[in-house]
Amino acid sequence: MSRTTLGLWSVAALLFLVAPLGLGAFWQFIAIEALVFALYAMSFNLLLGYGGMLSFGHAAYFGLGAYGVGILMAKLSAPFWLALLAAPVVAAVGAAAVGYFSVRLTGIYFAMLTFAFQMLFFTVALKATVLTGGDDGIVGLTRPGVLVDPAVYYLFVLFITALAIGLLYRMVNSPFGQTLRAIRENARRVQHLGVHTRAHCWLTFVIAGAFAGLAGGLFALSTGSVFPGWLDWTASATPIVMVVLGGLRVFTGPIAGAFVFIGLETVISGHTEYWPLFMGVIIIALVLLLPGGILGTRSGRVGH
Amino acid sequence: MESLLDQTWQNLTLFGNPTVVIRQTLSGISHGMLLFLISAGLSLIFGVTRILNFAHGGLFMLGAYIAMSVIGLTLAGLPGFILSLIAGAALLLLVGGGLEVLLLRRIYRSAHEFQLLMTFGLVFVIGDLVMIIWDREERSVAAPELLSGATRLIGVTFPTYRLFLILVGIAMAIALWVLLHRTRFGIWIRAATLDREMLGALGVNTRRLYTGVFALGAALAGFGGALAAPVLAVGPGLHVEVIIDAFVVVVIGGMGSIPGALVGSLLVGLVNAFGILAFPSLAVVLTFALMAVVLIVRPWGLFGRPE
Repeated sequence: MSRTTLGLWSVAALLFLVAPLGLGAFWQFIAIEALVFALYAMSFNLLLGYGGMLSFGHAAYFGLGAYGVGILMAKLSAPFWLALLAAPVVAAVGAAAVGYFSVRLTGIYFAMLTFAFQMLFFTVALKATVLTGGDDGIVGLTRPGVLVDPAVYYLFVLFITALAIGLLYRMVNSPFGQTLRAIRENARRVQHLGVHTRAHCWLTFVIAGAFAGLAGGLFALSTGSVFPGWLDWTASATPIVMVVLGGLRVFTGPIAGAFVFIGLETVISGHTEYWPLFMGVIIIALVLLLPGGILGTRSGRVGH
Repeated sequence: MESLLDQTWQNLTLFGNPTVVIRQTLSGISHGMLLFLISAGLSLIFGVTRILNFAHGGLFMLGAYIAMSVIGLTLAGLPGFILSLIAGAALLLLVGGGLEVLLLRRIYRSAHEFQLLMTFGLVFVIGDLVMIIWDREERSVAAPELLSGATRLIGVTFPTYRLFLILVGIAMAIALWVLLHRTRFGIWIRAATLDREMLGALGVNTRRLYTGVFALGAALAGFGGALAAPVLAVGPGLHVEVIIDAFVVVVIGGMGSIPGALVGSLLVGLVNAFGILAFPSLAVVLTFALMAVVLIVRPWGLFGRPE
């Protein structure tokens, strides 16, 4: 890492650490949301940017993590820490089941199968009222001790997110990540080199699901609630938009994408009820004008 | 748990009642025909352009709203109804052609995620524009007198309009068959579904063909929306509901195949109709499970071809 990048990282770290503490509770909540979605988008980019797998059902694992926390705390009165630890585990189990079937397919068929499973989870969340509260969701989740304070919870989320992103960074630059990128470029060739590509993709799918579940759990504990809309199909487009917006060939792209997206959403929906219209126009403009994303270049590749 | 089992068992005994079975079959076919009107266009567009048009539900919704306005502006009776169907199809033909020329044409060579995002962005734009042009009220549209009420058929009484939907669905299936097999445009469509590059190399103007197919698909959606207006609650969110159903149908039947769309529609319609009978709260889960099973066993669908 060069001296300039190190400097830039330090400044960014300091900003993340201090800036939101001076803001009111509302913006602290938004900052938490942005962090959580940065993690969520990063977990998604592991699939799309590094593995070339376009999942159109990633919201399922965010939702599984959130419902894991919600059900454990509200229905089984589990303590906070146990519930938070369970979030990535629950999501990983779900991702393992779905991934087992999905990684056999590629391209648009992979997208459709992950989508089908997500809709399965969504309808179950909607219909299994006893556990999930159906349309009304689960509300009234509380954080223990000092974490009740949004500023403290922000620092807590920042710590966990940074840790998770650090892990992801190590992973994509390890032989595991290199192999994943090679599979993206030419799966058959990697297979002939003796790698079990399907198992590799499956494991990636499970890891991505676990991180999405962690994000979902953190978010549920931020809002104190879980709703079925979090794992609806429109929610699965959110990480795709964030990743493409930030640049899917850049490691930090999803972070930028998540912050810009959440920022735009907060500001625009504060002024008009037609946020979806703006979002649609932004998405279309993005596809037509800025396909490399904010941080990306058209032909850039991750890690090159 | 026990009461749930009891309930399910009681529901299952309904399958022994011929009246119930006939009514559910008719209702499944009728719902299936409605699904066919939406999914035929979706499938055509995917077959030729390879784009999964999430905005197709929005086009359907536009058709329903246009029909509602036409019926509101003109006289209600039969002439107003027929005019509403023509307006729904004709206006959406223009909208579809316009969208293709302005937007979709630019992304045929893009990666899947960009194509997905583009049509996904359109979902929100169309959804909100409809709310701006009309409003957020949920409305119902009256069917013309000739088609309202109920008809007695093979021992059951069934809403006349739903029987009419079945007839229109059959007519539409025949019309599409004739179009695809007996006209030059149809032959081009089928050829493009098989091999786009080759068709271009043989001197067909594929650019114009793509515009035509997208416009045709949109017109089918508009017609379907106009036709469905009397049996649906025309309101916000309609486009999101119908696209999911159409999507499931097309995946099951095979993307790009019209016979597949027809069989998939009837299958989903019937699974829904009988699923509601057996497990009222889980019928929706059944259709997604069906979709997942088809994708696992035959990813290209019942009537599609592997790539």
